[in-house]
Amino acid sequence: MTATTVGPADGSGSGDTAAPAARPSAVTAKDLARSGAVRRRKSARLKIWIGSVGVALVVLPVALAGVLPIPGPDEQSLSLRRLPPLTGGHLFGTDQLGRDLLSRVLHGGQVSLTVGVLAIVVSGIIGLIAGAAAGFFGGWVDTVVSRLLEAQLSLPLLLMLLLVVALFGPSIPVITFVIAFAQWPEVARLTRSLVLVEREKPYVAAARVLGLHRITTLLRHVLPNVVKQASLVILLLLAQAVLLESALSYLGAGPQRPFATWGRIIADGQDYITTSWWLVTLPGLVIVLLVVGVNLLGDGLRDRARRRKGPQTEGKVSRA
Amino acid sequence: MVRYVAQRVGQSILAIFLTVSTVFVLVRLAPGDPAAAYASPLATTAELDRIRAQFGLDKPLIQQYGIFVQDLFHGNLGTSFSFQAPALDVVLSRMPYTIMLAVSAILFAAVVAIPAGVWMARHADTARELGANVAMIAGQSMPEFWSGIMLLTIFAVLVPVLPASGFTSWAGLVLPTVTVGILQIALISRLVRREMGAGFAAPYLTIARARGISERGLTWRYALGNSAVPLVTALGTRFAAMLNGVVVVEVVFAWPGVGSLVVRALETRDYPLIQATVLVTAILTVLVQLLIDLTYPLLDPRVRLGKAVAS
Amino acid sequence: MTAEFDAADRPLLEVEDLQIELMTEAGIVRAVDGVSFVIRQGETVTIIGESGSGKSTTAMGILRLLPPELAVLSGTARFQGVDVIADPRAVREVRGRTVSLIPQDPMTALSPVHTIGQQLREAVRLRHRGLSRAETVARSVDLLARMHIPDPASQLGKYPHQLSGGMLQRVLIAIALAGSPVLLVADEPTSALDVTVQAGILGLLLEVQENIGIGILMITHDIGVARLVSDRIHVMKDGRFVESGEAEQIVNAPRDPYTRKLLAAVPRLGPWDEDGESPDAPVALGEPR
Repeated sequence: MTATTVGPADGSGSGDTAAPAARPSAVTAKDLARSGAVRRRKSARLKIWIGSVGVALVVLPVALAGVLPIPGPDEQSLSLRRLPPLTGGHLFGTDQLGRDLLSRVLHGGQVSLTVGVLAIVVSGIIGLIAGAAAGFFGGWVDTVVSRLLEAQLSLPLLLMLLLVVALFGPSIPVITFVIAFAQWPEVARLTRSLVLVEREKPYVAAARVLGLHRITTLLRHVLPNVVKQASLVILLLLAQAVLLESALSYLGAGPQRPFATWGRIIADGQDYITTSWWLVTLPGLVIVLLVVGVNLLGDGLRDRARRRKGPQTEGKVSRA
Repeated sequence: MVRYVAQRVGQSILAIFLTVSTVFVLVRLAPGDPAAAYASPLATTAELDRIRAQFGLDKPLIQQYGIFVQDLFHGNLGTSFSFQAPALDVVLSRMPYTIMLAVSAILFAAVVAIPAGVWMARHADTARELGANVAMIAGQSMPEFWSGIMLLTIFAVLVPVLPASGFTSWAGLVLPTVTVGILQIALISRLVRREMGAGFAAPYLTIARARGISERGLTWRYALGNSAVPLVTALGTRFAAMLNGVVVVEVVFAWPGVGSLVVRALETRDYPLIQATVLVTAILTVLVQLLIDLTYPLLDPRVRLGKAVAS
Repeated sequence: MTAEFDAADRPLLEVEDLQIELMTEAGIVRAVDGVSFVIRQGETVTIIGESGSGKSTTAMGILRLLPPELAVLSGTARFQGVDVIADPRAVREVRGRTVSLIPQDPMTALSPVHTIGQQLREAVRLRHRGLSRAETVARSVDLLARMHIPDPASQLGKYPHQLSGGMLQRVLIAIALAGSPVLLVADEPTSALDVTVQAGILGLLLEVQENIGIGILMITHDIGVARLVSDRIHVMKDGRFVESGEAEQIVNAPRDPYTRKLLAAVPRLGPWDEDGESPDAPVALGEPR
């Protein structure tokens, strides 16, 4: 194959040597715009952009909740009950006790996001270690981890989580642990298959020949190669963690202190849905915006990583 | 194939065993007196002692486990004090409603998601597919309780076409099904898109195209035919995950299934009922997945006939 | 199993100035840079080259099996007068009827969840519509028998994973012939097979050609294969033909230096050399020559 140009065709041929006259390229700009390669690149970029914007729109205000010029989340005012959005300086309106809804959402968001991030960190660490150990050492380690992974696939997860919360109370550590428990299998499964592939690569054998202890090889060489791809999945799990946390708090099993989280806010507003639609709709939209953002961002990053790995064409084109 | 069946059955037994053990361990790990968990909050000391004796809570753990498993085999899952009835009976009386909702949701989702996924695979990497993709991402990003409340408000309150709650008529099944279905459609269609994409890239597909087989034949017979196996196994795992959504949706629509049962039990601290629900649901899920996995040999001749190479 | 040759005696395949450009992630790659060749009735034309020379791309390209979102084709490629580059849609009439493909890896060339019989009968039905089930079965069995497959009737019910590579390749040739084509495109049909089986497949192809006079476009990287089956050979490198000619001339008296290198790349057996005295023996590191 002669790689004559890199980038869009300029129609004037190649920068290639030899006697036969350079042939003009038949690739038009329209062809290029329609090509799979260009389309995928554009769509990945679009996803990353929109995703990042969505995430930022939620995370930044939540992070800055303490310093923004809004009323406190627990300030009740019986005279300002159930105001619609954009009245009296309340961007999201007020709830049935006169509390500013935006403030409740942002402060509750701090708890929701903290729980979510902690949960993915915990599940990420556990999943990475378990998956890497299973993939690298094989044998009984792999058997045990794999059986656990399979068994957990059939657990009625939300029910078990409710059970745990019922027994141990809805505190932040309990909720975090419970969500992490729900998520570690996905990380472990992916890490395991990635490590299995890495294990066959020559540098692992070379490390062993050089006398490196197996654990050192795993930690210092295999794991860094695997972490990048695994962290993408872990990022995507943030979306799932937020959804799970909000479901738990809607059902009454979410953290109560310091602030009620998004699910609870929606549950509280459910009784007033016909008169004060904003109490349910707006917090829900915030969740949707965050989760869509994370999903789009993760999708776009995954598309971009997949393209770098190499194009897969139909048939046997890559051979000749 | 025998080996495959034996393996799957073994896995199922292990899964049930692990769930049972986890439930057993949890109540004993929790702060407080396990007897108080099994008894009602208004129990007297005499009742607590009786419960302690009944479950052997003062005996060594191994023996307790034995009693626990034995009780399980005899169908004794404790007594629900808020219902004043055996917990197992309460759970079983409401289980059919949950199953009805789950089955209806997965059928609805499959009927919509499979053609949608095939369509997305055929139009891969186009602007239309990107739009569909974003729509699916939106679908999987909405908390089910929220979309449930929204749908309920729009279709049962503002425009009262459908019943708002409970199960008084078949129409009451519609909104809960659609609510659970939205997330499943999003996930299943993306799954189908992935599998079909892989199917289209397979060598035998290009070669079939070289034979002159029509694009339609290629899509439905070759690509989808070969994707059937991974699809079916994926649908099996979806079932367990879907139960999460069913639980929440039951609460939103006051659907008389085990999900709303559990939430009520949470409020009244009716621990035996929660435990019974978890155990029964776990066993049911394992069985459903086992059944779905056992159809695998029917679909894939390589598993059915083994990998013998004759000449 | 007949071939419907053109009354006007047009070449089975006529390629002129074919150019194939691939729009990859890394930029535009010109895989095929202006090749021309002709195949007539009863002829075997071979394109020989190393991996990456563009030979497989040429074969897939003229059959329009390259994804349109990846490949841009220019030039002409006429199958009995039908130019599939000018009119991409026309290739659908040509594929499976005028020209059939024999793929490289028989193990992955058939759908794993359909039986041999289903896939063979489907190919028969495509060309001969309106046959009853019994008739398609009979034709399928007949095709398999002509491929010297033992006990053909029982093979119909088997799945691809139950047959060996050599048997599968014979089945694929049968499927290719089911449409009564006039031209076979064989894309490295023996590369994935054991050496002992290769000769049988090549012999079968030659036998079929002798019986019904079809043309064969053979793609290969193996000199031995080229030498055995070709009437004419084109040597391909970097998307272009560096030398073309009659098989005998190319093999015995190659003119182009690349062709000579290609032919010379066959390992030769030299004298048995234990003491390192032969001039061809490798020198140990560090020792003086």
